[in-house]
Amino acid sequence: MKSDDPVTKETVERLCAQADLPLGPERRTRLVPMLAGLIAAANELSRKMAAAAHQSILPILRFPER
Amino acid sequence: MAQGDPLDLTIIEAAAQLEGRRLSPVELTEAMLQRIAKVDKQIRAYITVCDAQAREVARAAERMIQAGYCLGPLHGIPVALKDNIYTRGVRTTAGSKILSDFVPSEDATVAARLKRAGAIIVGKTNMHEFAWGGTTDNPHHGTCRNPWNPERFPAGSSGGSGAAVAARTCLGALGTDTGGSIRLPSSVNGIVGIRPTIGRVSNYNVVPLAWTMDTVSPMTRTVEDCVVMFEVIAGYDPFDEHSAQVPVADYRGELGRPVHGLRVGLIRDYSLTHVQKAVGDAVRAALKTLEGLGARIEEIAMPSIHGNISAQLTIESCEPSAYHQQWLRTRAADYGEDVRTLLELGEMYLATHYIQAQRYRSLLRKEFLEGFKRVDVFVTPTLPFTATPCGATEVVIEGNRKEDMLSAIMQFTGVPSLAGLPALSLPVGFDPDGLPVGMQVIGRPFDEGTLFRVGHAYQQVTDWHTRSPRL
Repeated sequence: MKSDDPVTKETVERLCAQADLPLGPERRTRLVPMLAGLIAAANELSRKMAAAAHQSILPILRFPER
Repeated sequence: MAQGDPLDLTIIEAAAQLEGRRLSPVELTEAMLQRIAKVDKQIRAYITVCDAQAREVARAAERMIQAGYCLGPLHGIPVALKDNIYTRGVRTTAGSKILSDFVPSEDATVAARLKRAGAIIVGKTNMHEFAWGGTTDNPHHGTCRNPWNPERFPAGSSGGSGAAVAARTCLGALGTDTGGSIRLPSSVNGIVGIRPTIGRVSNYNVVPLAWTMDTVSPMTRTVEDCVVMFEVIAGYDPFDEHSAQVPVADYRGELGRPVHGLRVGLIRDYSLTHVQKAVGDAVRAALKTLEGLGARIEEIAMPSIHGNISAQLTIESCEPSAYHQQWLRTRAADYGEDVRTLLELGEMYLATHYIQAQRYRSLLRKEFLEGFKRVDVFVTPTLPFTATPCGATEVVIEGNRKEDMLSAIMQFTGVPSLAGLPALSLPVGFDPDGLPVGMQVIGRPFDEGTLFRVGHAYQQVTDWHTRSPRL
């Protein structure tokens, strides 16, 4: 998915299939605008974190005891 | 003979009267249960009231005091627990229909520690369903309301704990905080709440929201009371894999230390930006008060601060959706519409989104640790706005622009959650409609003591925390 692609009903349908999440057409349609906003913001953050300046940064899943 | 109305006592004041036998645990517990019976139909702060059990424990606590035994400052103190914290023999719904009949066979570590310290659990508090939301507009157990104005929301997800403390139906409560769920209701209900450093307080036997961000902690009327509860629940727990083996400080000892010379950081273009006027005014006034006590204010740039809401939404979407994956496929209709939608959305992120959000946390934490070389704490408002009407899904912060509630509510509290830092919310004023304003103080990892010191010093020279809602 390109970051500037709008999220469509087909996008949601494809993601539901990938996740093995059976949602009716009404629910899938309802998710489109919300998912579009969330994915646009997530893509913006991804672009920031993918920058060369941040390549050495590790994900943090457990905090150090200090 | 009890001095003053038992409903108005703080934990510290009640403990002194209980130990001095001027007040009995039975009398105090009865006063709280009667208060719940009187006001909770309106506020809906409780999902389950443990009246019979509370009376029985109160009688046992009283017998111990009569025999000359006192377990400490929580002995005989009525408290409430958010309903995602396991209580042995008492149903623990997590605010859901799915767990509406779940009765745990053992306590959460925090519940067990409070019981061992002599606290009396009067009830399990209302919450946003499965803690996934910030309004406590609960479709299964009733809409929780703000005691300062029942037409307004109590925030969430620990809205019931916040409302219960503010409404004087318990002396303190436990909440859970993933992205702000203790601090947000503390702010709008005019009380004190702390999010601890991740690993400082055990999450064992607490229904999770997002494993890498979840915490448990107290909500009280004063900082001193918060310390009393925090000292009991903090510390290593071998049952919790994320629990930290870091010694627990003498937090009460910290309270006596002055804040003269303390360095308070404001994050440039963030700490006092994009907030309602009354919120900005109250926080600026609180900063002046701290300056008057000898603290120094310094502005610090934090280039990566923006991006925090997306990171929080990504992590808080993906992790709950993993936990709820099976129920979403077998019991979808049993979720409230808002939570069901969020859980569906959480399945649609890419793995790279999630990992980049977790990498962002490292970056943010690094910038904070750098900032802590120059200051001792950072300050922001807890929320950019005061309590909105119940049921609102949008909020106006500046101008006439309506913003999505879920994103707006995360503006300030998500940052310490992502960075794994402790953060205290305390009341610093009221807006023109009489609704409380909260200020957030963020500290170094495992330095809850400094947050308590700042909050206590502030409460020694102000009286916001002594005011009560009229119910």
